[in-house]
Amino acid sequence: MFKPFTLQARLGMAGVLLAMLLLPALTADPYVMHVMVLTMIFGIFASAWNLVTGFAGLKTFGHHAFFGLGAYGSALIAINLGLSPWFTIWLGGLIAAAAGLLIGTPILRIRSMPHVAIVTLGFAEIVRICVANLSGLTRGEMGLWGIPQFEGFTLPLVGPVSFTPADKVSFYYLALALTVLVLLVIVRLMRSKTGLAMLAMRDGEDAAESLGVNLTRMKLMVFGLSAFIVGIAGAFYAHYLSILTPASAVGVDLMISIIAMVLVGGLGTVSGPLVGAFALTLMIEAMRDLENYRLLGYGALIVVIVMFLPKGLVTLRERFFPRPQEQ
Amino acid sequence: MANPASAPLLRVEAITMTFGGIVAIDNLSLDVKQGQILALMGPNGAGKTTTFHVIAGVHKPDRGSIVFEGRDITAMRPDGRCRAGLARTFQITQPFEQLSVTENIMVGARPFHSTMAELRKACEAYADKVGLGDKLDAPAKGLSTGQRKRLELARAMATRPRLLLMDEVTGGVDMKSIPGLIDLVRTLRSDGLTIVLIEHNMKVISELADEAIFMNRGARMVSGTPREVASDPAVVELYLGEAADGH
Repeated sequence: MFKPFTLQARLGMAGVLLAMLLLPALTADPYVMHVMVLTMIFGIFASAWNLVTGFAGLKTFGHHAFFGLGAYGSALIAINLGLSPWFTIWLGGLIAAAAGLLIGTPILRIRSMPHVAIVTLGFAEIVRICVANLSGLTRGEMGLWGIPQFEGFTLPLVGPVSFTPADKVSFYYLALALTVLVLLVIVRLMRSKTGLAMLAMRDGEDAAESLGVNLTRMKLMVFGLSAFIVGIAGAFYAHYLSILTPASAVGVDLMISIIAMVLVGGLGTVSGPLVGAFALTLMIEAMRDLENYRLLGYGALIVVIVMFLPKGLVTLRERFFPRPQEQ
Repeated sequence: MANPASAPLLRVEAITMTFGGIVAIDNLSLDVKQGQILALMGPNGAGKTTTFHVIAGVHKPDRGSIVFEGRDITAMRPDGRCRAGLARTFQITQPFEQLSVTENIMVGARPFHSTMAELRKACEAYADKVGLGDKLDAPAKGLSTGQRKRLELARAMATRPRLLLMDEVTGGVDMKSIPGLIDLVRTLRSDGLTIVLIEHNMKVISELADEAIFMNRGARMVSGTPREVASDPAVVELYLGEAADGH
């Protein structure tokens, strides 16, 4: 992970990026674009959760709280203060990060991971109940609608760009830009000395601490960063769909699908969460005709993948394109 | 301010450490002089590893203080003590299993190199030094016990310590690897490192240590040169007693 990228890896990344850039030219079908936008939002969420769980080894199950805080935070600020979503999505991220640091401070001192899991899950449930019951502010279960969309602008050479429900292509490119940005941040971090110290902490806290890694600072940093990224994903989701409900934005179902995406794609890998988000979204959309039975098929597929590829779909790459042996 | 030439590198002053009523360390004091190799001996449960934990900052003692290079570090966390120049190895090795041998060592040397390439290069040299030069990119997960002990040493050395705590570095290592480890520790000392060992192997102690402290029930029972300690009647009786109990 800490060696320079091989030519093969660089070509692979460039190829995937090129394909993503060209996709709308092949099909601008609103349904395909919609599925791809959701895939990227969940891919960002999954990448940020993987940062905490796969790379830092903190078993948190309450990241949907940060998604909801980012979504509702950005939406409410945009509605009530009339600020532009271009600005409020960052505020959504900051609100989520602040919440992450606030609850992170007490819980990250807990060394027992099952307790961390329960406390974070409980925190998210508190957030969901608050959102559902503060109906004066959030309209509760009725749903928060009328969330402002991103304002359009004019790009030189391209022309006017607008963000309306009818024009999904611009959302697609915006989601792609966010995904690339998040991925760059994660790759830079994980290939740095800080990333090395984080992996050391994951593999052995006592040993890492004896080698000079400040565990509390490291955990807070990664928790805050991850919450920030998830908050931005949530905020983007809010301004994309224009409607939020407590179940869709802070529901535990959301967290469970994110966990499934990361496990299917590959926990503790950079590309795994995105691959998992893509594979699972594609899978569930492909089984749409099965109606209610699709959940059964979806569950079965997850079981099969986890059984036969316990380290996720990304291990298929190693199988087909083994890395050159250096010794 | 004490004169650094005469003051001990590490002073453990009257520490007591209890765990729920069990006294693990009972009013223990010891000095480690610059450049010496001090061995802690004693039966299982004598408090040797607990003493290491207190020195390294894993446990905070109920009473007493730890002074390193004239500075009271009793309240300092383990990572701070590492940066202050105190390194340790673990009795039960704790390799970062999913990292390679070189990457394991790189964790310790992080503060000293600005680029990853320099860091890697410097750490390959440490791996070479402990005899893991042919395992640079191997995952730490697959190492044998002896290799894991060597990796722990390399990792600790990479933090550029002035005091190294080595917890049973020959424990679980096959007999033919022991002379190599002894040579390695000698090299470390000649490079100016001060070392405290926990060791059961009398041959290792007599070859390496300048001074030995025999602990029992959390306190110092006998101390002196390794030869003096080994021939002390109380120590002999304790070890023979253990042998008679079938340990």
